Amino acid sequence: MGPFVSRRELLLGAALLLAAPMARAGAPLRIATIDWAMLETLCALGLTPVAATELIQFRSDAVEPDLPADVVDLGLRGSPNFELLHLLRPDLILISPFYVRHEAALGRIAPLFSLPFYVRGEPPFEKALAAVKALGERLGRSDRAEALLKEIVGEIEGFRQTLAPFANRSTYIVNIGDARHVRVFGFDSMFGDMLARLGLPNAWTDRSRFTFAAPVSIENLAADPDARIVIVSEVPVEARSGLRNSIIWNSLEPVRKGRVIQLANVNPYGGVTAGLRFARLFAEAMLAGDRRG
Amino acid sequence: MTMRAWSFLSASLLASLMLFALAASSQVPFSQWGDLLAPPAELTLDKIILAYSLFPRAAVALVAGAALGLSGALLQQFLRNPLADPSTLGISAGAQLAIVAATLYVPEIVDGHRTLVALAGAAGAAAIVFALGWRRAFEPVTMVVCGLLVGVTAAALSAAMTLARGEYLMSLVTWNGGSLSQQDWSVFQSLGLELVLLGLFAGLLIRPMLVLGLGDTSARSLGVNLGGIRFAIAAIATALAGFVASAVGLVSFVGLAAPAFVRACGARRPAAIVALSPLAGALFLWLCDSIVQTVARASSENFPTGAVTALVGGPLLLWLLPKVRSMEVPHEARESVHRGNLKIAFAAFLVLVPVLVAIAFVVGPSGHGWKILSWAETLDLAPLRWPRLLASAAAGGLLAVTGAILQRMTGNAMASPEVVGVSGGAGLGFAAALTFAPDGGTVVVFTGAGLGALIAMLAVLVFASRRHLPPEKLLLAGVAVGSFSSAVLSALLAIGDQRSWQILSWLGGSASTATPATAIFLGILSLLVVAAALLLSRWLTILPFGPSIALSLGLSVRLSRVLLLLLSGAATGAASLLVGPLSFVGLVAPHIVLRAGLVTAPQHLAGSFLLGSILMALADFGARTATFPYELPLGLFAALVGAPYLIWLLGRHR
Repeated sequence: MGPFVSRRELLLGAALLLAAPMARAGAPLRIATIDWAMLETLCALGLTPVAATELIQFRSDAVEPDLPADVVDLGLRGSPNFELLHLLRPDLILISPFYVRHEAALGRIAPLFSLPFYVRGEPPFEKALAAVKALGERLGRSDRAEALLKEIVGEIEGFRQTLAPFANRSTYIVNIGDARHVRVFGFDSMFGDMLARLGLPNAWTDRSRFTFAAPVSIENLAADPDARIVIVSEVPVEARSGLRNSIIWNSLEPVRKGRVIQLANVNPYGGVTAGLRFARLFAEAMLAGDRRG
Repeated sequence: MTMRAWSFLSASLLASLMLFALAASSQVPFSQWGDLLAPPAELTLDKIILAYSLFPRAAVALVAGAALGLSGALLQQFLRNPLADPSTLGISAGAQLAIVAATLYVPEIVDGHRTLVALAGAAGAAAIVFALGWRRAFEPVTMVVCGLLVGVTAAALSAAMTLARGEYLMSLVTWNGGSLSQQDWSVFQSLGLELVLLGLFAGLLIRPMLVLGLGDTSARSLGVNLGGIRFAIAAIATALAGFVASAVGLVSFVGLAAPAFVRACGARRPAAIVALSPLAGALFLWLCDSIVQTVARASSENFPTGAVTALVGGPLLLWLLPKVRSMEVPHEARESVHRGNLKIAFAAFLVLVPVLVAIAFVVGPSGHGWKILSWAETLDLAPLRWPRLLASAAAGGLLAVTGAILQRMTGNAMASPEVVGVSGGAGLGFAAALTFAPDGGTVVVFTGAGLGALIAMLAVLVFASRRHLPPEKLLLAGVAVGSFSSAVLSALLAIGDQRSWQILSWLGGSASTATPATAIFLGILSLLVVAAALLLSRWLTILPFGPSIALSLGLSVRLSRVLLLLLSGAATGAASLLVGPLSFVGLVAPHIVLRAGLVTAPQHLAGSFLLGSILMALADFGARTATFPYELPLGLFAALVGAPYLIWLLGRHR
């Protein structure tokens, strides 16, 4: 277990503690986010939180948005550090229904604002868009939210046109777990929903398999031999040689024909930013590897 | 082996075969199976899946089950301990810890050298457990408690490492669940080769083992090198468990269930048990895996096979237990404890408590590390700190009192809420409350955990009262309940919705979730429980002397046991909701108190309560400061406080 917080972060934390009582009327709202999708939504509205959770992991997994170094790390999403949060004197805490367990404790520190993003069986991007609007209203930034929503719709439309030539083929979107298992993203995942919005059929017709302990075995990707496979996020180091040598993986029609696309890390539980990041990376990769079709 | 035993085995073989044939023929019709021998490049994907996924999966299930069965049988024979198996002895958990640590810190090594890593972990854990057991002449219950201790600590460490890195690694979770899915024949080839080689070695050892069965003295007089044989058997069993762990992950209970089944079916000779256990293990794992695959196809829910074996194995074991021939399990002799100085003990408490409270309140983070907070800062943070301090102290007290009650009641020094499966029951109740009343809030969850603990208690009680509560059976029943619980929790994690999150954070157990209301509730409950325990202390004075003396003193053994168990169930349920399923406070505190000289029942109970509170409060302080701002599981810290003491205690000569 290495150092979790750099000295600089701690210093910043301490500085914030001292500054906190002085930051008052007229100053911008001090917002803390517990949920990552909320964090993205907030940043998309042009605001920066004073604190957010699991930033070490967020910076490597979600990549976007790029957070300033002075955002304080609140520790794990599953057990955020209430004491540190209290010392930061937030005016508002952003959560999602995943944190119901902590609502009472968080509510004692500051008012809460909770929005749903991921509900089993429901496409999440609509909820992410609604979250932009709702959070914009809550923070008095409706204009910015309206503009952002227009921008997002425009961007997606652009990607949709770019990707139109590729719509004849369906697509599997997966995360590699280990050499034998993948997560498959269905219509109720951010990536699956985005794929549908881009006008491309999803090869995985069942609901999402972003489950925790039992991702699906690789041979489940055999159902649609004409599909392409999009791997979102890096393949874990310990799985690389296993996957390279796997007979099943190598016999999958898309793998044989070279229709596998590797994308950089994207947060599978993100908000609009993650959705757009996926769309952009996907479109870029498709254009770059046009011949893969 | 009786006719019934053979019919069991053939029925399970038949069922597995049918399920497999069903799956395989729906993949590729039987008529085309002849093509399967062609090179993979010429096959259709359906045939490749049959030839390189379904067939090897069945083969790996058979081989892994056989290896685990053999490993369990060898350990049980060698230790003359019906409770021994790679999972109860902590060997599998050691392998798991090694793989988790390597995956997190040196992933390049895991890619390609997974077996070596797992083997090193298994060997390390086995070395610790055997070294501890050696000094107590491999006394069965001590061995299993050592094993559970090492196992739980290893599991807690791997969870903490994963959590502290802020990662929920999918591959780790998959591996923990014990997934048998295969991509080619490589796992089967290596595991099969390992099994054959080690099986041959084991075969060579069967004769000396027969001699071992005669007892140490007669064996020595026959000129058998006891040390060498024991080492060889232990090495074979450990290696088998390590190989399986590296190949398919944690598959618990097969090594325990297979020899138990074989013995229950009437096999008596060590050679027969060792020879038949791999067969039983292989069929058991194959059947479980066939069922898992059938369910996966029918309902599109994937459960980890390793979790399912425990799901089937737990109840199976409880059912088989009455049939298991009891091996000689020497009762723990009450250690002769010199009567210590009560004044010193209480003075120590009186000094420790204010110091601890002060530390808990006035130490806070500064820019460089930790500092003493000013009065204003202390007051500012106090509303956040007193609930968790009170709640963790109360939970520690509750667990410790329960431990003292259970140890006195069973006359077994190794009894504790964790060991007899009450914590596992609380986990089941917790999961049930989340499932059936997802919006119920804290009260419902509390009730659920309490009821779960009570039901687990009752299950153990009903089982044990039929068998007149011999301590070793009580422990075994507890182990069964505990692994059943963790199997259900793993299966729920596998479904992977909002509950997974809550279960995961419960498994971690953090005192930060304590609200003023829950803290006060736990505080009052702990005072009530300790008061009730003190009222019942006459029973607890008499019970350790055994049922006959208790009866002659006019005590209804049955009633007193029921009441005490109910009390323990309520206490553990409430406490484990905060702490999670593991912590050794309930096991350790009563021991330390006893050794400090508080030997009468009231002293023992009150002392355990106080010490348990102190230990858990310390653990909470550690959990929230060690990796600030990332909070570590409270149970892990409690384990880190308790485990070294227990290891020291177990390692001492009598």
